[in-house]
Amino acid sequence: MNFEFERFVIAMFDRAPPYILEHMQLVLIPLAIATAIAFPVGVLLTRARYRRYSGRVMGIFNTGQTIPPLAVIAVFFPFLGLGYRPAVIALTLYALLPIARNTLAGLAGVPLEVKDAARGMGMTEWQTFRQIEIPLSLPVVMSGIKTSAVLTAGTAALAALVGGKGMGAVIFAGINFFRMELILAGTIYIGLIALFLDRVLSFIEARMTPSYMK
Amino acid sequence: MIQLEQVKKIFPQTTVPAVDEITFSINKGNICVFVGPSGCGKTTILRMINRLVEPTSGNIYIDGENILHVNSDELRRRIGYVIQQVGLLPHRTIEQNVGLVPRLLKWPEARIKARVMELLEVVGLDPSETAWKYPYQLSGGQMQRVGVARALAADPPIMLMDEPFGAVDPIVRGRLQDEFLRLQQEVKKTICFVTHDINEALKMGDYIVVMNKGKLVQKGTPMELLSEPANDFVKDLIGDDRGVKLLDLTRAESLMMVPESYPVARDCPCFIDAIQPVKMALEVMMKNDSDVVGVRRGDKVIGTLSWTEIKKHIHRISGD
Ligand SMILES: Nc1ncnc2c1ncn2[C@@H]1O[C@H](COP(=O)(O)OP(=O)(O)O)[C@@H](O)[C@H]1O
Ligand SMILES: [Mg+2]
Repeated sequence: MNFEFERFVIAMFDRAPPYILEHMQLVLIPLAIATAIAFPVGVLLTRARYRRYSGRVMGIFNTGQTIPPLAVIAVFFPFLGLGYRPAVIALTLYALLPIARNTLAGLAGVPLEVKDAARGMGMTEWQTFRQIEIPLSLPVVMSGIKTSAVLTAGTAALAALVGGKGMGAVIFAGINFFRMELILAGTIYIGLIALFLDRVLSFIEARMTPSYMK
Repeated sequence: MIQLEQVKKIFPQTTVPAVDEITFSINKGNICVFVGPSGCGKTTILRMINRLVEPTSGNIYIDGENILHVNSDELRRRIGYVIQQVGLLPHRTIEQNVGLVPRLLKWPEARIKARVMELLEVVGLDPSETAWKYPYQLSGGQMQRVGVARALAADPPIMLMDEPFGAVDPIVRGRLQDEFLRLQQEVKKTICFVTHDINEALKMGDYIVVMNKGKLVQKGTPMELLSEPANDFVKDLIGDDRGVKLLDLTRAESLMMVPESYPVARDCPCFIDAIQPVKMALEVMMKNDSDVVGVRRGDKVIGTLSWTEIKKHIHRISGD
């Protein structure tokens, strides 16, 4: 495979950029869905009534993550076929675990005596959750979302294989046509997207972290 | 007034009761101290009074009302609670921590601010220095003071205090105890006070409940406990210096001799006040290298207290 600088410049500034937004979508949509699922699940699994299921549910999530994304797509293929939707579903399943795990860890990390004091002062269960548990666990939850975002940014490249578009399309075009420049450009953009998401989410995380935890 | 009737708690997945058929009552304005070794069920008793723990059987009444008939959140807002591990909210300022219950009770904001400042002063913290800080910026002793201020905030008639001065060194503890007793003279709360330190119990309690392994071993005034310990467990808890401890609770006037001729008393080299403890008389005797002190009420000399009398008294109560 040879490398021509001029083609690389074209790949960087002409071929790849149209895929940036597509790729961002492939990351942010699964991330949003995964958060919407994993966060409430994590909250439920730390409530007294459901705590005993937390080991089993986390086991399922853990197993989910050991399955390669392509295998997930293969499993859903008979129901959903190829394209955007199965890609989003596979990526969502993939993004669940770090968020659920960190939600559990974050909520479990809220000191018992603080929750106890809150209840003892007469805060209701809901007030304790909203005013104590959420703010004190949010930094840890955010860092789970960040891990998921970075993970998904990379995995989302595979979406192109099932017609799910994204920056993967550029990379696979490069592989198919033996064009090193396209592969490199696609990879660089994926790296930049991951970096960008990491920075933005780190900033939000820092804003949410109370000063005593820094 | 707080009444417990045959209250028992067996925690799930355990067989031995943490609290076993305890019955007692605490009168309005009194401090009742629960004392006993760690794990004997003191915290569990407090937590049943504010319904953080539900009894397995038995009844608890506050001012005659069964607490099970009161909404538990509302009940807790009427009961001040100082928890063993302090448990300040780490993401809230001291002002917000102390103002917690008044805010739950929807007091006007201005009244909350004023109350917080007043309370910080009461517990010996500089309001302008402390109010805006976060808990991690305070020392252990300061945090415990904030914990007490938070429990007092909405002026609850009842206070549950779980080893409130446990996390500080003995010197600070002594000072906090003194300050609290002085405060209690003014506020006259009904207080359940938990400690594993018998000296603290004797100092703080109008009434003491000695516990062991979930069972009530003895209840009575500090004087009753010291002079008639129910069994060896109570004796061991009090320690070998029972007689000396008693001297701390005995007023000089109760042991003094009333001399036939007042000149004897007037010739004493040193004097103490009638209501001061006998222990103080010993201190004064030692300082003045004397075997006798005069006892005064106001300006009048009313008797003498001698080393021989004190010694006889110690032998009498030690029973040997
Ligand atoms: N939530 C709980 N579940 C099970 N056992 C408990 C619980 N809370 C306390 N216990 C047990 O009950 C006993 C009394 O505990 P506690 O009231 O905290 O004692 P103390 O405050 O006197 O040290 C201990 O044996 C303790 O292990
Ligand atoms: Mg305890």
